[in-house]
Amino acid sequence: MDNFLQAIDTLTIKFALAAVLLPLLAFIINLALPGKNNKVAGWISTGAILISCVLSVSVFSKVWNTDHLVHQQVLWFTIGDTKVYAGVLLNNLSVLMLVLVNVIALPVHIYSTAYMKNDDGYNRYFAFLSLFCFSMLALVVVDNLVLFYIFWELVGFSSYLLIGFWFTRHKAVQANKKAFIMNRIGDIGLLTAIIILFTQYHTFDIDFLFGSIDIAKFASVHDFWVFNTDLPSQVGSIWVKGGAVPLPIIWQYVAFAGIFLAVAAKSAQFPLHTWLPDAMEGPTSVSALIHAATMVAAGVFLLGRVYPVFNETELTILAIIGCFTAFMAATIALTQNDFKRILAYSTISQLGYMIMAMGIGAYSSSLFHLVTHAFFKCLLFLVAGIVIHQMSHIRDDNKLEIDPQNILNMGGLRKKMPLTFIAALIGALALIGLPFTSGYLSKDGILIQAFQWSEGKSFIYILIPVFAVLTTWLTAFYVIRLIVKVFFGDLRLLEKYPSIKLHIADGGWRYVLPLFILAIGSLFPLFSINPFSYEQSWLFKGVTIGHNVAGEGVYHILVPVAVNIFSLLVVYGAYVIYAKRKISPFSQTNALWRLSFNEWYFDHFYKKYIVKPVMVLSRSVFWWDRRVIDGFIHTLAKTAMALSKLTAWADQHIIDGFLHLVVNVVQSVGNFARRFQGGKVQYYLYSMLVIILALFILKTLI
Amino acid sequence: MISLTDFLIVSAVLFCVGLYMIVSKQNAIQVLIGIELMLNAAILNLVAFSKYDRFNNGGQMFALFAIVLAAATTAVALAIILNVYKQYKTIDPGEINKLRD
Repeated sequence: MDNFLQAIDTLTIKFALAAVLLPLLAFIINLALPGKNNKVAGWISTGAILISCVLSVSVFSKVWNTDHLVHQQVLWFTIGDTKVYAGVLLNNLSVLMLVLVNVIALPVHIYSTAYMKNDDGYNRYFAFLSLFCFSMLALVVVDNLVLFYIFWELVGFSSYLLIGFWFTRHKAVQANKKAFIMNRIGDIGLLTAIIILFTQYHTFDIDFLFGSIDIAKFASVHDFWVFNTDLPSQVGSIWVKGGAVPLPIIWQYVAFAGIFLAVAAKSAQFPLHTWLPDAMEGPTSVSALIHAATMVAAGVFLLGRVYPVFNETELTILAIIGCFTAFMAATIALTQNDFKRILAYSTISQLGYMIMAMGIGAYSSSLFHLVTHAFFKCLLFLVAGIVIHQMSHIRDDNKLEIDPQNILNMGGLRKKMPLTFIAALIGALALIGLPFTSGYLSKDGILIQAFQWSEGKSFIYILIPVFAVLTTWLTAFYVIRLIVKVFFGDLRLLEKYPSIKLHIADGGWRYVLPLFILAIGSLFPLFSINPFSYEQSWLFKGVTIGHNVAGEGVYHILVPVAVNIFSLLVVYGAYVIYAKRKISPFSQTNALWRLSFNEWYFDHFYKKYIVKPVMVLSRSVFWWDRRVIDGFIHTLAKTAMALSKLTAWADQHIIDGFLHLVVNVVQSVGNFARRFQGGKVQYYLYSMLVIILALFILKTLI
Repeated sequence: MISLTDFLIVSAVLFCVGLYMIVSKQNAIQVLIGIELMLNAAILNLVAFSKYDRFNNGGQMFALFAIVLAAATTAVALAIILNVYKQYKTIDPGEINKLRD
């Protein structure tokens, strides 16, 4: 029986590996493809992701809810006594992410084949896209922290490549630099945390640290000696070798801070969230992927992986940060005018929800929200892509000087693009979290559990659920503002330029099919048969850890009803304000509006207090390096040069000169002597004559 | 009246011209001519000093001998030059230096 299971496991692992490696293969092939705009590239990448999608679904069906951990590893390398294994770990969480990433990436790929078809960098785009998918897929299945870190970096790097895809634009370059630097800050945190964990437990194995054996939890929460006898035998050896000291509380907090930094950077949480709105400079399809499945999901996934290591205080910190981020991003989204920027802030806000959910112990709701959010946020981004595409068509056809992403120029598009409008509406309703959508299921789960969590705690804790609910209403407001400004009323461009011609439509099947797939995923039936109860969702049950709170209690009725009724009111109110234009929009001069419009001045703040001092510091260091260190070295070099020149001169003129003199003397003497034996008869005669004359002269003189 | 000194001067000039030709000319024929000049300078001396001979015309007899010998040696020398030319395709004595070390 065991052998049989083993064989099945091996097959599953092979499938999972194939699912992960296919995009890598596509990446390599696409790099090698000739030409810049080779349509084959798109089909290779899409085909790879399609097969990998099918494979991951089959892996999913084999692993999901079987209570059987698929975990196989091989020895990777050995340093001293430490053996580092590389392997694949498949549990509910990782197969869920595996499927999610693939299912989101597939529509994005199909969409991209149409969206990018006229771009010069078509090959490059698909190569990078495949690399991106590969790194994220690998991230979710690896079983040790070193590999995890590698793919974590790779996700950051490939997103850097894609955000700066149009690298000739100055803004895109700035944006990808910003994203990369922010992510580096997070990476340092993750690395710190990994090092601390390794120092303490002498293993990188995720399953060992955070999984079923869970030594991190044992050591951090309880006194080790009590547990000594209870630990599984395989852990025992490690304890003996590594010294049985539980993680000191200070290091526990440092590790938490590191992990939090990593999560904040990847999942765009306060205070490292500012890169995400700027990352909109990449192609819209890339934004969809970043926001839905690959990049920002990595942070939440990391939390999901290392969740057991946190203690109560740290979870509360997570909840506070998440809640604050959600609220802040929602208020910023209220006043932005860039289509993609609004969506970006809404992503930050929703990620805040997920982090908050992790913090309040709603582990499964958090992951549930991650999945549902992936669908509707991807849907909304693809809609944004289509709208922006059409707007830039209008711009190019009529040679206008407008920003195609500015929603103030749009309006009335629902008649021109009915399918896009319906998709946008579904996505928007799911984002608000109205009933019958997937967003309702996950978001209400979080809100209910937030209230349950704050129960019985100090009254300050009630602020978290309250702000979460407030954020929901803010979300409803800005989403409706966005939808109304884009799809209702009349096209505002026509007011400014009455003579322009419009040829806009939904686009071909490669635009519509992804929207259709994602719209299905944004509705409730995919996740739960009962549209009102998140606890009955298969997904929620699948990733639940620990005891499940029974679905009773006053909050389960009160919270959804109150929240949704008020949400509907907000929706109606926003519709009235923006569609009918009966009430003039809000004053644009007061402090709150400016705070929101300027994104809470985070960028200004960072620029003034972090970027500038850093720049000044680097400049002064540069100056120091240039003037003092380089100057010193140059002086040294010059002295050495002068010395060597002197030596060279002395060598050439004195030592060599003496030698040459000797040589010349010898040579001339030799030459002189040689001439007497030159074989010339006349010369012999001549010398004879000279000698005779000399003899005569000598004779005469003496 | 031509004195003995004049003969000796002509003879010395002839000798010097001959000597000069021998050491400086690049042509073996000219060198040969130089040798002839030197011989003739010597012969001129014999003739000039024959005035003081104990026997009449003794010096002139010697001069005739010397002329005949000179003719013979010239013939031999010309033959050598001819053969040298055949061998080396040149009669410049400077070029013919096979004998050098």
